[in-house]
Amino acid sequence: MKFTCSQNNFLEAVLTVQKAVSARSSTPLLEGILLETQKDVLKLVGTNLDLGIETYIEADIREEGSVVIPSRLLSEIIRKLPDAEIEVTLLGNYSVKIVCLNSLVTLQGFAPDEYPSLPDISESEPIEISKMLLAKMIRETIFAVATDESRPVLTGSLLEVEDGEVTMVSLDGYRLALQKGRIESSAGHRKVIIPGKSLGEIGRIIDGSDDNISITISDRHVLFDLGYTRIISRVLEGEFINYRQIIPEDYRTRVKVDTKILTSSIERASLIAREGKNNLIKLNLQDQKMTITANSESGQVYEEIPVLLEGKDLEIAFNARYFMDMLKAIPDQEICMDLTTNVSPCVIRPIKGSDYTYLLLPVRIFG
Amino acid sequence: MNSNERLILHIDVNSAFLSFEAVYRLQHGETVDLRDIPSAVAGSQATRHGIILAKSIPAKKYGIKTGEPTWEARQKCPQLVTVPPNYALYMFCHNSLKELLKNFSDRIQVFSVDEFFLDVTGMPGADQPLELAHIIRKRIKKKLGFTVSIGISSNKLLAKMGSELKKPDAVSTLFPPEIPGKMWPLPVEDLYMVGRATSLKLRKMGIGTIGSLANCDLELLKYKFKSWGKLLWDYANGIESSAVSSSSRDTVKGIGNSTTVHFDVEDRRTAHQVLLSLVETVGMRMRFSGLCCRVIAISIRRAEDLTFYSHQLKIQTPIDSTTAIYEYCKRLFDEAWGGEPIRHLGVRVSDLSPAVHIQLSMFEKEWEKQKVIDRAVDQIRMKFGPGSVIRSNFLWSGLAPMEGGLSDDASYPVMTSIL
Repeated sequence: MKFTCSQNNFLEAVLTVQKAVSARSSTPLLEGILLETQKDVLKLVGTNLDLGIETYIEADIREEGSVVIPSRLLSEIIRKLPDAEIEVTLLGNYSVKIVCLNSLVTLQGFAPDEYPSLPDISESEPIEISKMLLAKMIRETIFAVATDESRPVLTGSLLEVEDGEVTMVSLDGYRLALQKGRIESSAGHRKVIIPGKSLGEIGRIIDGSDDNISITISDRHVLFDLGYTRIISRVLEGEFINYRQIIPEDYRTRVKVDTKILTSSIERASLIAREGKNNLIKLNLQDQKMTITANSESGQVYEEIPVLLEGKDLEIAFNARYFMDMLKAIPDQEICMDLTTNVSPCVIRPIKGSDYTYLLLPVRIFG
Repeated sequence: MNSNERLILHIDVNSAFLSFEAVYRLQHGETVDLRDIPSAVAGSQATRHGIILAKSIPAKKYGIKTGEPTWEARQKCPQLVTVPPNYALYMFCHNSLKELLKNFSDRIQVFSVDEFFLDVTGMPGADQPLELAHIIRKRIKKKLGFTVSIGISSNKLLAKMGSELKKPDAVSTLFPPEIPGKMWPLPVEDLYMVGRATSLKLRKMGIGTIGSLANCDLELLKYKFKSWGKLLWDYANGIESSAVSSSSRDTVKGIGNSTTVHFDVEDRRTAHQVLLSLVETVGMRMRFSGLCCRVIAISIRRAEDLTFYSHQLKIQTPIDSTTAIYEYCKRLFDEAWGGEPIRHLGVRVSDLSPAVHIQLSMFEKEWEKQKVIDRAVDQIRMKFGPGSVIRSNFLWSGLAPMEGGLSDDASYPVMTSIL
């Protein structure tokens, strides 16, 4: 194997596939990146068996071949090389020679024969979605993915497609985040639970351009095809929680509030709240205003915000961090909060439309 | 007294468990006061845990010691009256005493089930500390029916040492100038934190009294006992400066209960029932302490080789309901048990938090109704005794409906170097 390519392209490709490579794995082979020549392109593959990424770059192929190179070392070396042409040659015994201007590095690699091949997914018709929309949906729901493993399906997000509408939902038992968007293709009703870790990496890889990405779902895997890069993730088996049941339609108190003002008030309150054990803020809704209070051994905060209040007065408490996670995901200038009692969920919706729904369970206060 | 000196009281209930039981019995029509006859709180011999947990002063005269087997105590005193432990009652008395003490200061530290520190600096009556302590002592005796010993000083260590000076129903001062006269003549074992091992080492060094420890070369103690030496020397000299801390977080880390079953348990149902009887007591203790738990653990000791294993889980929403904890214990047991005969079972709850703020969850069952039932049952048991309400599945089971040992209770540290 022998090829040349630009340092820039090579680095970008290595960093992309490296996102699927575990720093520590049961076998050194999985800590490496597979390089494989194909006619006039170079293919790079990284995988941890849950997530696999392959990408193609232009290269001048002089001799065919393939090899696995330790990922971390390779990326660090390529990053430090000057922005010039790189020549890579496979020597005997799977060692690789890398030459760039006045630098020469040889790295010990591994035989590629046993490197796992990524699963082939072509069963169903792909779903086309704009990269910008997908990135936004991931960004604005991923915080609610469960981190503890007690309910494995909740460590992933549900992606559901129906009648040209795509929905992404994450929930961890305390809160729920839901994002909706329109897509062109109408590929019938599909759903899949994608591990949060994979989604995080996918979100980092796709750029914010308006191009489409195509998603293909099979029983065990989901493929995100960006053209030059393919990301394949294992899916979580089992039924997702019936989230529609959790979101109440009714409310007794509705509040319209400026997102920025609310965010900065809660940010200030949480400075004090986080000193306490429960990270607790109390909201009091009354007389067209919302007061936010927090106290801990370190001090007290009192914040007052004008709101549009419909319905009954209410006093309710929340975990400040959970509330902030939600607010950070909302780009709108104004939001609508629907509440019923101080022990039932608070639902946050846009003023117009239904692009998102956030739900947060309160903290019950005894005595 | 120097103006910036503190005024600390240590309140210690005399023969606590026995006194609580005696008062309870007197209030419920009993004519004999357990405190006036040789009597003891002891586990049941028939069920393999017969040891003396507390004794009356007449029983003490027969040489009966806490911790010795009941049969041994009976040999010393055949007419010894024994009563079973009743943790619910102790917690009730504990809480009543705490409420009473709160009238004198809000700076109160629960030190154990029968010991409290009270910082009365600057409080009404603090200029006449002896009189104030007598008022407290008399009020406890009149309102709650049991007697206490109170120590008065300027720090917690000396107050605690002071309450030991005269018992029962007494008040003693132990201010720093009184140390050489009142504390130094005492045997070194009487010093707080000097246990059997330390006492042995000190005696070997020729140190027999607190005074000789106080006047010993500090460097020598540091050499022999490392950092411990400095603490011993400080204590012997009455030096200690920690605050009376009301934070319950520092004291209660977990609540545990375990029992040796009087036969080997070989089936799941019986094991579940034993767990329930343990949880009944754990749940009650949690509710009396106003705490909820997030971690639940069970432990199993095999009958065959007495080896031991345990299994635990963490839940999202803190709970204090007996039924809720029992549900989790059953699950833990079923997951962990290998099917072998069981000698001993234990339940322990930890990651405790005050039951005031609870993050609600979509999945955790709401135990609200259960809470009401628990409260009603607790109150009935408090009033009419622990046997007044039992779960029907204990009928004809041969098992105790509530297991309540004190042996592995970690809710309040009995011995600690942190005052």
